[in-house]
Amino acid sequence: MVSGQVVLGMRLRSPLVCSLSLGLMALGIFVRGDGGAEPQVDFARDVQPLFKAHCLPCHSADEANGKLVLASYKSVMQGGRHGPVVIPGKSSQSLLVARILGQGGQERMPLGFAPLTDAQIRTIRDWIDQGAHGSAPGAGSETHWAYIKPTKPPVPVLNSSWIKTPVDAFVLSKLRSEKLSPAPEADRTTLIRRLSLDLTGLPPSPAEVDAFWADRSPNAYGKVVDRLLASPHFGERMALPWLDAARYADSNGFQQDGDNNQWVWRDWVVKAFNGDLPYDQFVVDQLAGDLLPNPTLDELVATGFNRNHMLNGEGGAIPEEQRNVICFDRVDVTSTTLLGLTMACCRCHDHKYDPFTQKDYYSLMAFFNNVPESGVPSGDGQYRIADPWIYAGSSEQMTRLKALKAVAASTSSRLDRLRQSAPFESALRAWKTEVEESAQEAKRAKLVYSPWKVSKEFRGASFDAAFKDSFAPETEKEPTGVVRPKLTDGQVHELTGDNTAFYFGRTVDSDKTCRLLFSFGSDDGIKVWFNGELIVSHKVTRGAAPDEELATVELHPGTNRLLIKVVNGGGIGGWYFRANGSRFQDSVLALVSKSSLSPEELERLRNAFLDDSPPSGWREAKAQAEAATDAVKKFEALLPRAMVMSDGQPRTTHVLSRGNYEAPLDEVHPRTPTVLPPEPKGVPANRLGLAQWIVSPDNPLTARVEVNRVWQMLFGTGLVKTSENFGVQGEPPSHPELLDWLAVDFREKGWDVKRLVKMIVMSSTYRQSSQCTPELRERDPENRLLARGARFRLSSFFIRDVALASSGLLNTKVGGKPVYPYQPKDIWDSLSITEERDFSYPQSKGADLYRRSLYTFWRRTVAPGNMFDAASRQVCTVRPVTTSTPMHALTTLNDVTWVEAGRVLAQHVMKDAGPTPERRLAEAFRRVCARRPGADELKILVEAFTRSYQTYKAHPDQALAYLSVGDSPRDANLDPAEYAAYASVCLAIYNLDEAMTRE
Amino acid sequence: MNLFFERDLRLSRRKFFGKTAQGIGALALMSLLSEEGYAQTASQGMPGLPGVPHFAPKAKRVVVLWQGGAPSQIDLFDYKPDLAKHYLEELPESVRQGKRLSTMTSGQKSFPILGAINPFRQYGQSQMWLSEMIPHIGSIADDICLVKSMHTEAVNHAPGVTFFLTGSQIPGRPSFGAWAVYGLGSLTRDLPAFVVMTSADRQKSCGQLFYDYYWGSGFIPSKYQGVRFRSEGEPVLYLDNPPGMSPELRRSLLNDIDKLDQKRYQDFGDPEIETRIAQYEMAFKMQTSVPELLDISKEPANILEMYGPDVQRKGSYAHNCLIARRLLERGVRFVQLMHAGWDQHLNLSTQLAIQCQDTDQPSAALVKDLKQRGMLDDTIVLWAGEFGRTVFVQGDINKPNGHGRDHFGDAYSLWIAGGGFKGGTVFGETDDFCYSVTKDPVGVHDMQATLLNQLGIDHKRLTYKYQGRDFRLTDVAGEVVREIVG
Repeated sequence: MVSGQVVLGMRLRSPLVCSLSLGLMALGIFVRGDGGAEPQVDFARDVQPLFKAHCLPCHSADEANGKLVLASYKSVMQGGRHGPVVIPGKSSQSLLVARILGQGGQERMPLGFAPLTDAQIRTIRDWIDQGAHGSAPGAGSETHWAYIKPTKPPVPVLNSSWIKTPVDAFVLSKLRSEKLSPAPEADRTTLIRRLSLDLTGLPPSPAEVDAFWADRSPNAYGKVVDRLLASPHFGERMALPWLDAARYADSNGFQQDGDNNQWVWRDWVVKAFNGDLPYDQFVVDQLAGDLLPNPTLDELVATGFNRNHMLNGEGGAIPEEQRNVICFDRVDVTSTTLLGLTMACCRCHDHKYDPFTQKDYYSLMAFFNNVPESGVPSGDGQYRIADPWIYAGSSEQMTRLKALKAVAASTSSRLDRLRQSAPFESALRAWKTEVEESAQEAKRAKLVYSPWKVSKEFRGASFDAAFKDSFAPETEKEPTGVVRPKLTDGQVHELTGDNTAFYFGRTVDSDKTCRLLFSFGSDDGIKVWFNGELIVSHKVTRGAAPDEELATVELHPGTNRLLIKVVNGGGIGGWYFRANGSRFQDSVLALVSKSSLSPEELERLRNAFLDDSPPSGWREAKAQAEAATDAVKKFEALLPRAMVMSDGQPRTTHVLSRGNYEAPLDEVHPRTPTVLPPEPKGVPANRLGLAQWIVSPDNPLTARVEVNRVWQMLFGTGLVKTSENFGVQGEPPSHPELLDWLAVDFREKGWDVKRLVKMIVMSSTYRQSSQCTPELRERDPENRLLARGARFRLSSFFIRDVALASSGLLNTKVGGKPVYPYQPKDIWDSLSITEERDFSYPQSKGADLYRRSLYTFWRRTVAPGNMFDAASRQVCTVRPVTTSTPMHALTTLNDVTWVEAGRVLAQHVMKDAGPTPERRLAEAFRRVCARRPGADELKILVEAFTRSYQTYKAHPDQALAYLSVGDSPRDANLDPAEYAAYASVCLAIYNLDEAMTRE
Repeated sequence: MNLFFERDLRLSRRKFFGKTAQGIGALALMSLLSEEGYAQTASQGMPGLPGVPHFAPKAKRVVVLWQGGAPSQIDLFDYKPDLAKHYLEELPESVRQGKRLSTMTSGQKSFPILGAINPFRQYGQSQMWLSEMIPHIGSIADDICLVKSMHTEAVNHAPGVTFFLTGSQIPGRPSFGAWAVYGLGSLTRDLPAFVVMTSADRQKSCGQLFYDYYWGSGFIPSKYQGVRFRSEGEPVLYLDNPPGMSPELRRSLLNDIDKLDQKRYQDFGDPEIETRIAQYEMAFKMQTSVPELLDISKEPANILEMYGPDVQRKGSYAHNCLIARRLLERGVRFVQLMHAGWDQHLNLSTQLAIQCQDTDQPSAALVKDLKQRGMLDDTIVLWAGEFGRTVFVQGDINKPNGHGRDHFGDAYSLWIAGGGFKGGTVFGETDDFCYSVTKDPVGVHDMQATLLNQLGIDHKRLTYKYQGRDFRLTDVAGEVVREIVG
């Protein structure tokens, strides 16, 4: 008798025991049977997990309701306020049992939660009746199964032709122990639809279905699998759950909700899956591509995985607080996605259930704490991203950029040579004399500056309007307003008022002509007129500082007029003015009169000289260099800026008391959790080392977590149902040996994802029909035993893709910028309160309306209205939750996406499928559901058509209205009433349960 | 033609004869259906959790009147007549104690004190001190419980709102309404259990935005998330039939879908199919019940008058307050009105009055309206923002449109009416400068725990297991504030 193994041939004596053992199986508890005796219940293995899962919220050392603690064997046996709760050997007299049954007029425990299942109660009773023993030392493993490195278990040797791959041997072995048989193989139509949806997220075309039926070769099924694995849509399909895990989105997610360019990273993911990048490399590139030797652009882009976090750019946000939030997020995403661990608990305290400490958490965070970032995004307008980032264009674009940069470098080095040449040096000396003379000239002039006159403020409809509009002071001859003698020059004066223009005017009297340099600063935009001539105009948002704008003015003898307009966008504004003592900056004059200059001062002097009176040839050379630099900048402006990782700013990491960034405790260093195997020898103590540890053969989690997620994708539920949590609180695997076998095999065979997928879909297990008897459904409602094929609703992404593909509307282009398919036109209205940018929905035109849902622009603050049940993309999500609500029904019944698809589908079948409603509707049904409708089903469809046709014949205006939905053109050659009738029935087909379900 | 009746007849017939024919044992069927709630769906909408409420509830429904942007407690609720004596004096360092401020004022060199900009007076039998700017709220003083000792961890809007409405500053958790519906289920099958509406101040001076996650379901199933009713376009996304699709034609096509789905159900026996059939039927019902709900043309004149002149303007706070009452009447469990308008950094002297105009009368009207219908006793009305504002001035006091108050979370006020909260009471005290709570502090988690308590929910036991942890609205904190509930 080996504990922990299913023993075949356990005698099932009654239906009660049968359902008991099933319940235990579903819990992953392995029942020992020895030819009829009661299965021996072990406290640590069987009972304690029940207490942990259901009782500890109220009966832990922290809570101890009724003074009862159910955390350990000792505390259970000790009992609570009412004395012992367990009487060994006598379950029916044990208070514990009475309470979980709700006997004795007391409320049933666990209070406020679902009652324990009969099987769970039976386990507890059996344990008590068997003597309520504690676990023998060594019984049940000390270490949780998931933290022990998997070994490849032997594949069960069973005599069955059903077994096509090792997967089947494990599954069949379990089925036999349950006295169950697998379901028959699904028919070919179901299989090809299942495969197409699972591997590409798209339905098979009728031609593909026919070809599969026609292929009588023994490997027909394998050929379909290979074709789908080679499809570029495989990568798109595989990317979807990875995007959910990596909380990928196209915007930051808070006020202003700036857009980002992380789609470059999304394209990398699609490409990685299509190119079958080994999973270990896939992980290393994403965690630490930047730390690889001479990283390629792809390897840098891959690190966007840890840069897909939200970014809070609210006014007033405290950057360091936000930066810590981002680092927490990186720890959570990395540990959940790659390791199936729930480290977030340890942000505030040692993990309650798993052997991880708060120190482990912050040691892990230390890996991610060296990014040169402030914590908040920068920029204004549409795009707001945070350092560090790189330009990440296509390879053609990057080649072009390199060439442009080479030109810029050579022209600017020519400029450097020129400025230090002998003729330039002698010209510089002559110019210095001229500067000194200019200062003398200005000194000789007698200048009188009037005090500033301040006009009233003018509020504009917007910042742009306030800047552009010409308010009264601009048209007045003389400066007007209130005299403000206290407004001194040479300092910044504050202004308040949003989208408001302020005017400051003064006169300058001079007795002779002289030239002066005026210095201005402004928060935000500025315009300056001198003697009525506009000399400065700069629409900008910034803080006010000296010398932001400089202008040389020529004063004529008599009165000169100066008018400054400052436009504040929002918050506190300000302005600055100062007149230099010559037509040069005072600082330049100081340099000229200085006897010895540092190299840096000399450079500044040269710049001033070259700006003012350059020798011949300079301006041309400079223009060339500037044009070349400009060309680089202009080209760069077209390129996406992808946020990436970098260790450019080493920081000390501390344990933070309850996660509070203002309450640092002990210093920690980058280190992986101690309970798991150590890092491989020689790996660096940085993210690269972390990545190498994650994919090292000794890591017990990585391969299991990934194969489980692939299983989940193909069966709806993982072998470990809690795919996000492999810890103590997670559910144990339904088929532990199968999980371990797949994990080890995956790792040993080069982490080959396509091979893994193929291994699973080639199995008989996968190919089973999803039809089942009521008895089986009752016995195994969740299909954890795999005695039938899986049946589940498609993700809303694929429901839409199916509509587009089957109607022929789908644009199959892979990758690129996100697109803006149909959304209710005011979908972003909640954001449009802000005046800082236009938040009207920029709906795409033409083919971009019909791209796969993967490419739909994902705004974090307002998700697309028709992508129901989708992950929020705010935090990591690795297990999709499918629900069914009236909102979903309204979406697929009324959204233009589906209505238009129905119309276009109708158009195709009217033209291509023959003359009768029967043939046309059968074809429409087939394009959506792959199979031909049964005679009774077709009858319903034809009746629906007939009724609809009568309605539209009677109401031609309604027919035309219905046919007008969607941008794609309506076929004017078709009879509107008939056309609309088919379109309405096609919409009904899209709304069938079957259309949305993967059978 | 009664389109519902026809369908209901068929449904009951099928329920009678159809299901047993599947050969599924009745017992198993019950348990399967209760998984997705079809059995209950047919009678009363989405079911709650077994065992919830945990104890006899005082309230069945909640309406949150969210005052986004953070109203100034100094000017409206926290009466400190002595502050006038300190007009523009520097707030003493001993009071400030280095408390965290937003980066909009943390660099300010001076912190001049500004007391309430308008007088307070006493209202009601309880003689509650409130600003003269909110006479209508004053008129319900005996029905409200004013908490002056609220405090929050957040210093900025989005984290502050997220914290109050989801229990965590970081988005991703289920919202209060989602928790309530998850625990208690729905009271109606014709409308969503959790409805959200938004409004902004009439001048749109406040840049506060409302994100889906303020009413999201986080990691619990999305059927618990709030459904947003919109003031423009379709009131609920995708509610209207496409052009050229009459209700009659839609009805007949839904019947066809139903027939085909029934066939599928017979072949596969998957209860998911049954659920989908029921949801399609509910969708059809919503297409009628929502427009009926939103049509206020039959409201009597005296009721419309109560809510003030704005009530006729769709998308206004007043309009939303009236719709909130209609929703609550029709069995919507949780209504959340999100109003943006209070973020008065630099326009306190002008916008505060306008915001009071926008919200004072409708807020009070809703409480009175519920009361006269006997619904206030079992409806919680929560009037709250994400934090309060600083006692010191931000900007230039000399500019009417250039000064105001910054965010402040260490001590602020909110009020609750109905649902067993003690009317006419004031709870908690702050220091002379409204800068620290000096008595009976109430944290956000405490308030959440108390609100749940009134719904009959022990906040520690309404949990959802995610990533191995039992999450709850109150995270790891929260004590019920017994003193403010009856």
